[in-house]
Amino acid sequence: MGGIRMTLPLKLTPAETALLDALDGATGWRAATRAALENRGLPNKRDEAWKWTDLRRLTGNITEAGTIAITGTREPDAKLPIRHAPTDILPRLAGALGGEARIYTLSEGESLSLEVTASVGVGHAIYVVEVPTGVSAQVRERLSVADGGFANIAVLYRIGEGASLDRIVSIGDCPGILAVSSGVDLGEGASLRQTTLTFGGKLVRLETHLAHPGAKAEAVMDAVYLLAPNRHADLTTTATISGPEGNLSQLTKGAVASHGHGVFQGKIHVEREAQRTDARMTHRALMLGDRAEIDAKPELEIYADDVQCAHGNALGAIDETALFYMRQRGLPEAQARAILIRSFLAEPLDRIRDPQIRDSLLEDLVTGLEALS
Amino acid sequence: MPMLEISNLHASVDNGAKPILKGLDLSVPKGEVHAIMGPNGSGKSTLSYVLTGRDGYDVTEGKVSFEGEDIGDLEPEERAARGLYLSFQYPVEIPGVPTLTFIRESLNAQRKARGEEEVSAPDFMRLIREKAAILNVSMDMLKRPVNVGFSGGEKKRMEILQALVLEPRFLILDETDSGLDIDALKVVSEGVNALRSPDRAMLVITHYQRLLDYIAPDKVHVMSAGRIVASGGPELAKELEAEGYDKYVRAA
Repeated sequence: MGGIRMTLPLKLTPAETALLDALDGATGWRAATRAALENRGLPNKRDEAWKWTDLRRLTGNITEAGTIAITGTREPDAKLPIRHAPTDILPRLAGALGGEARIYTLSEGESLSLEVTASVGVGHAIYVVEVPTGVSAQVRERLSVADGGFANIAVLYRIGEGASLDRIVSIGDCPGILAVSSGVDLGEGASLRQTTLTFGGKLVRLETHLAHPGAKAEAVMDAVYLLAPNRHADLTTTATISGPEGNLSQLTKGAVASHGHGVFQGKIHVEREAQRTDARMTHRALMLGDRAEIDAKPELEIYADDVQCAHGNALGAIDETALFYMRQRGLPEAQARAILIRSFLAEPLDRIRDPQIRDSLLEDLVTGLEALS
Repeated sequence: MPMLEISNLHASVDNGAKPILKGLDLSVPKGEVHAIMGPNGSGKSTLSYVLTGRDGYDVTEGKVSFEGEDIGDLEPEERAARGLYLSFQYPVEIPGVPTLTFIRESLNAQRKARGEEEVSAPDFMRLIREKAAILNVSMDMLKRPVNVGFSGGEKKRMEILQALVLEPRFLILDETDSGLDIDALKVVSEGVNALRSPDRAMLVITHYQRLLDYIAPDKVHVMSAGRIVASGGPELAKELEAEGYDKYVRAA
């Protein structure tokens, strides 16, 4: 009763034990990371931020060491050891066990493409992309994890004052487990346009944490998920807007088949100084079958009084009237469904500025739909 | 043999809980245009959905034959490929799908189902330009998503345009005159009349006689409470316009 808090020692999973072993003899923040893991385990449904995505349960028996290959249109400019510890457990582990961070410093007009391929077993990686003051550039990341793999990836983007970045993240078929934690530091007057396309995986968790200065900076964070049976995708974003006159727009659209599970968690935090913020967040998703599961948690936390902020969240099914209309014109049911889902999901992809990348992602979407029917 | 033969048709919605059609008989021979008139709630729209196979409209008794084939078990797209076309009372908006793409894919899906060659892109463009001219439909409209932001009149013109391109064997026009001003009504009627042919038949469902001034029917049927309660020539429509449906509603 009151006052006494019982804590049972955590029964570690084989995966957690293997991670602790890998951190044996660690010092400094790495030792603290080890202790935190030993006390709390990997993220699981008891953590509020992970209540719909139980990483701990699904990674349970993955113990062997895996590898993560990162190939790109070019080599990184530098590889540096991690000196500062990130806050959350997964990026901390990536920092502690992922070796040196690859640092890419983009030049004006550069288009960097990174392929991230993870093998069976547990792998960690960390990379940093710097967009210097005033530079406009584009990064495309493609990730995949083999069946039986667990890839833990930490990414840091530093977008300088007045710089502009288009970031495109796409995840193809992903039979393994993928967790990507992205931190994005946006400079004054800078612009971020981030678009994600995922078909989920055994478990896919994509976190983006945006530090937004206000200050005429603009951020777009859009996403599309299309989930077949037994696929899981979790799109989690936080945005902290700390100064006046910032802009943020988020549009996430999803479609989930029976026995698929989609999660959207979005939080916009507008600090007291962030007057005249314009922030919008929309999540809309289609349940493609009775056994589809979609969980959504949009949150606005506003401490400034002169702002324009809105969020919307809507779940629905395919419009049966439209489906009948299309079939009456002669389109077979599967084709009519695919057209309706495609047109619903295409909106965030249509906002991609590079026409080649836009077409390529739209094609991936059509391929994903064909696989679904 | 009539092109469309409906005998003792019973149909209900809400999984059989709500009977709407209660023993409907109707036959439409090839080359003829028949009108069905009736008060609201008599089952006119239900009939159009039952004929085209919409989910949720269950036939509980009776039979529908199209060119001698019982079509009761066919999917909507199979009926479409056999040439049944419904011009919707409320055409549906489909955001994100350009009208041109939609019509081309519909045409090719039907042709494929019939074992015919697909129409090439240039042939399709030639065809649609020719038909669009009849209905004053601009290319600009055809590039927009299906029915999105169209006025009531534009939507109805688009329905008839699709019929001109798809060239169905049998047209059902469900309240095609609703929401049309007189100019739009003339344009739409011209489109419909362009489709009249000895090989084709039509069922014109309407609440008002007005449409029948422009699309002259060979026969007029009065529907009430799920059945055809009277049939006659074009003069029957005029009588209904003058005297209303009261005596038929009572008779049913």
